Amino acid sequence: MANVKELRIRIKSVAGIAKITGAMEMVASMKLRKAQAAAQSLRPYTAEIRNLIDHLAEFVGNDASLPLFDRREVKTTGVLVISSDRGLCGAYNSNLLATFHEFERAKLAQNPGHRFKLYCYGKKGYHYLYKRGYQIEKFFVEPPLDKADFAAAKMVSNVLVDAFERREVDEVVVLFTEFVSVAKFVATPTQFLPIGDIATGGDVTPSGQKQDYMLEPDPDTIFQRLIPRYLETVVYDAILESQASEHASRRMAMKAASDAAKRMGKDLKKVYNRARQEGITKELLDIVGGASAV
Amino acid sequence: MASELHFRVVTPQKTVVDRKVASVQFMGVDGSYGILPNHAPLLTATKPGIVTIHELDGRTEEMLVTDGFAEMRDNVLSLICEAGELAQEIDLERAAEAEKRARERIAERNRIDINLPKAEAALQRALLRQMLGRRRSGTGHL
Repeated sequence: MANVKELRIRIKSVAGIAKITGAMEMVASMKLRKAQAAAQSLRPYTAEIRNLIDHLAEFVGNDASLPLFDRREVKTTGVLVISSDRGLCGAYNSNLLATFHEFERAKLAQNPGHRFKLYCYGKKGYHYLYKRGYQIEKFFVEPPLDKADFAAAKMVSNVLVDAFERREVDEVVVLFTEFVSVAKFVATPTQFLPIGDIATGGDVTPSGQKQDYMLEPDPDTIFQRLIPRYLETVVYDAILESQASEHASRRMAMKAASDAAKRMGKDLKKVYNRARQEGITKELLDIVGGASAV
Repeated sequence: MASELHFRVVTPQKTVVDRKVASVQFMGVDGSYGILPNHAPLLTATKPGIVTIHELDGRTEEMLVTDGFAEMRDNVLSLICEAGELAQEIDLERAAEAEKRARERIAERNRIDINLPKAEAALQRALLRQMLGRRRSGTGHL
């Protein structure tokens, strides 16, 4: 029976797919764990840098020139879009890019002439935006996203800071997927430059425990050196969170796919058994009919 | 008075050191610092270089750090830098490779537009690593 044979092939292929998605699910959970571990070990560093900034901010003079804090009229927004290099990760990239469009619409509603310059990390986002004719300033390919280390984050951060300092863009926003929990990730645009969430000089609310530090060299110089380090941690953190989200998202997608394949296999098996039984019954009838004819 | 100092080295990859020691020597941007327990609060930028840790039991240990910051507060000395490794963790082969790469880059600087200070810094790091690694294994000439 052709029908039975077809069914047998179908069942086999569905089982094969379930095996593949199952393996991908396991790989994704491993990678998720790794990304989480990396994010975990970054935390003390970020905390220390943040801590230094908070301590130093009080010492920075009001007249210090801090170009990275400079607010100017925003005509061009630089957006760093951190997507993934690979697909099969559920709605991870579509959510991210939908958030991008939302962000874009909000900006355009305020000012119809608003311009965007895009910096892409991750192939999926790049291809999507490129096809739709967006101006892409830079697409980071090396190192690939899943091998991105602190040095990579540093490079990305430098590119963004340079563009801001050369006034090619008036603000920089990092669009990445925040990792809330293993089942929840939210694509969020986060303000990167100018730096808004650090008060300096006279704006600082005195902590009342301004320590009598020995500062070498002067506070302004240290602060100037500290700020790029801080920005690097922000980028690295965004990359790590995106990675964790990507892997978690892929794991969920693959789990759903494996479950669906198993269910489908079961249903097919039922249909197959019925068809097989029918075939046997028919054959028996033929034999019985043939015997009585003799 | 406690005669021990809490010493931490924090990098983006991991917290390399986090323990009590007797004293620490490191390179600030404008000279060498020796920090003893209960040193006055201090905040400084540091240069890439070798950090000497004097342990509580009198031994010394050396490690390499890249540029970053040092903060001394409440008897805790924190070095916050991009990379830091203890002498026994240094991979001599990798350092030698890095040295070669950096030298090539410096030699090629006329032909290709590259960032010379960056290459020089890389070379410096590679040399420091090798020096420290060799000294550790006792094959260096220092």
